[in-house]
Amino acid sequence: MKRKKKGNLAMKAGLLIIAFFLLVAIFAPVIAPYDPNEMSIGYLPPSKDHLLGTNDVGQDIFSEMVYGTRVSLYVGVFAAFIVTGVGTVLALISGYFGGMADKIITAITNVAMAVPGLPLTVLLVAYLEPGKWSLIIAISITAWTGTLRILRSRVQQISEMPFIKIERTLGVSPVVILFKHILPNVKDIILTRGALAVSSAMVTEASLSFLGLGNITEKSWGGVLHYAFFRNSIMKNQFWWYLPPIICICIAVLGFMLVGYYGQLKKG
Amino acid sequence: MWKHVLKKVVIALATIYLIITISFVLVHVMPGDPVIHLVGQEEYYYLLDNDPAYLEKLIEKYGLNDSLQVQYLKYLKSIVTLDFGIAYSNQRPVVENVFSASKWTLMLSVPVWILGGIIGAVLGVIAGWRPGKLFDKIMTPIFLVIHTMPSNCLSLLLLMIFSYKLRIFPINGMVSAGTQGFARFLSILDHMCLPLIILLIFRVAGDFMLMKSTVSQIRSEEYILTARSKGLPGKNVLFIHVMKNAMVPYLTSFLMQMGGLLSGSMIVEVVFGWKGMGMLMYNAVQNRDFPTAQFCFLLSAVCVVGSNLLSDIINAAVDPRIKTGGAHEA
Repeated sequence: MKRKKKGNLAMKAGLLIIAFFLLVAIFAPVIAPYDPNEMSIGYLPPSKDHLLGTNDVGQDIFSEMVYGTRVSLYVGVFAAFIVTGVGTVLALISGYFGGMADKIITAITNVAMAVPGLPLTVLLVAYLEPGKWSLIIAISITAWTGTLRILRSRVQQISEMPFIKIERTLGVSPVVILFKHILPNVKDIILTRGALAVSSAMVTEASLSFLGLGNITEKSWGGVLHYAFFRNSIMKNQFWWYLPPIICICIAVLGFMLVGYYGQLKKG
Repeated sequence: MWKHVLKKVVIALATIYLIITISFVLVHVMPGDPVIHLVGQEEYYYLLDNDPAYLEKLIEKYGLNDSLQVQYLKYLKSIVTLDFGIAYSNQRPVVENVFSASKWTLMLSVPVWILGGIIGAVLGVIAGWRPGKLFDKIMTPIFLVIHTMPSNCLSLLLLMIFSYKLRIFPINGMVSAGTQGFARFLSILDHMCLPLIILLIFRVAGDFMLMKSTVSQIRSEEYILTARSKGLPGKNVLFIHVMKNAMVPYLTSFLMQMGGLLSGSMIVEVVFGWKGMGMLMYNAVQNRDFPTAQFCFLLSAVCVVGSNLLSDIINAAVDPRIKTGGAHEA
């Protein structure tokens, strides 16, 4: 009982965090006092004009952070959509139909799981044209295996249940069974896995942008951190430059993780 | 059991072959002249300006005028003979560069792997054995947060605190210049302290979560209830029944972590200027030195497949259920 309450509280906190960042992303032009690409005097410490100071080329760091929310969330959410979508569709097919389809999908999954994630992502980002969607594709390419494995076994279980078996014998079309009867039963798993996928996609995005492999024209939080680190802001003690992206990344990731992790616990 | 092992070996070989092929397809499907991907961008433009004849020779050497099938066979041959050409960064063979960098990475990742495995297991057992008690209540949220934190964030924070504010650890690099013998050894130890600690924190967090969930799952099994109700003291239940059963899945994933020994520390290496495999690959990608990047990638993939295979084999050896080929999910 107590456990459940705690889980709900953590989940609510996570939802609040997500809602906060979503609002910031949507109202970015209203909140940000400057255009994040507008240059002025560099290396200004925080002041009334520039809440978090300016970076090496004089861009307002606070505005960069506000607009960065858009990029970070965009990449995280869309990568998670692809990851969860691919994982779900493949899981439904292999779990429900079994046989040959299952064998092929399992084989593909095994290969995808054997590929080291970050090196492949780095390699792909280097090969592809730079841009948000290259980043999203590179992040999602091997990340769907976890969702697939969990969903597949659940779909297999449900497919063995009497109500599905009856429908099969009645000759209901597989599409109807899959989407109207199986999908609603795995909805919760999909949602929690989706939230976890957003958090891990955002971590990967932060790492890639931090390495300078992200999207240069549209800076995400990781991108801000990249410039802060490689322009020696730590050595110069410019904490207003390197701390905000770290805090934002950690809190946003934590928000999605809380929803995913405690959502899972609640369902057992 | 031998049949099972043989099957796993065949699957592993097939997987490596597939990854090698995918890597070939990547180079040839990507936009742009494949020569760029083979010699690296800077080298390509340099040659294009200064020595087009040599570039022609290279195209001839790599057989880029040949049909794709012939190119593919040559590519396979270059992998079998480990001939990835010369890296233009220091004019040494790519393979040699990668192997020397991987030594430095292993220096960090092997201690982290082993220590993290032990510490994570111990803490995880304690938390999982008495869920909801103080230790579990404090440790689980802490490790959960660390587990989700991006490694660059934690690295920068600790770098800021311990290297810049407290000045306990060196800021960057692997060894102080001009040190010899034992002093050099100490200097390396000093430099690897902080990256090692950071990697260790993450590994312990991961292993802790794993062990905790395994143990708390086993705790609710019926045979534990039986053991308890026949009056076994808690200590015996823990060490004989719980630990023995928890070790098998834990050992499996512990062995599988070996796959990440080469490729798992890229971010931390970049932050600390540790010239290991991750750093090498990062630099290779930054400089568009594709042969080096590709070989790093292939080597880490082989590492992952190899350790998965090893864990399968050891698993088959310790778990009697697999010997009979029964309850094991392929």
